[in-house]
Amino acid sequence: MKQHLGRQSGVQKVDVSLIDGKVDVTPKEDGQIDPAQLLKAVYDSGVTVAEMDVIARGKIVKDAAGNFALQVSPNQSFAIASNDLLKAVEPLADSPAAVTIRGELYRKRAGKKKTAASAPLKLLILDVQRKE
Amino acid sequence: MNTRKLALLFLLGSIFVPVSQAQIKHIEMRVEGMT
Repeated sequence: MKQHLGRQSGVQKVDVSLIDGKVDVTPKEDGQIDPAQLLKAVYDSGVTVAEMDVIARGKIVKDAAGNFALQVSPNQSFAIASNDLLKAVEPLADSPAAVTIRGELYRKRAGKKKTAASAPLKLLILDVQRKE
Repeated sequence: MNTRKLALLFLLGSIFVPVSQAQIKHIEMRVEGMT
């Protein structure tokens, strides 16, 4: 699995801990990495992903329907799931201010033994680390 | 006048640089069934 992940575009380093089942992925300096692609790569190597967390820096944007997203690059953004922490960053929507967010992108649904994420990944904010 | 324009350009640049540095910094997964 480590080799499989290491071959994905944008991956600089992969650390695997067999004891606690933790996989740490360090992106290359440009940060151009696709979490959905990593999720698929892990499933393809025969392992089930229980949870995927991400630390990302970007700006908060709001679409015409009023949904919020974290834009990490001009062509990559993640829809933000509604919770109390979203309210804290809502005022930053469509401003040039950048924010660093730790959030949950994927969690395996209870009862499902092995399913790859089919729906688009949604970011559940766990922590707002820095507003600039 | 040109100095003022340069100063304004520098100021705007410093505001927008953080956005251009936006990126994914780290990904952590908890996996099951790993041997």
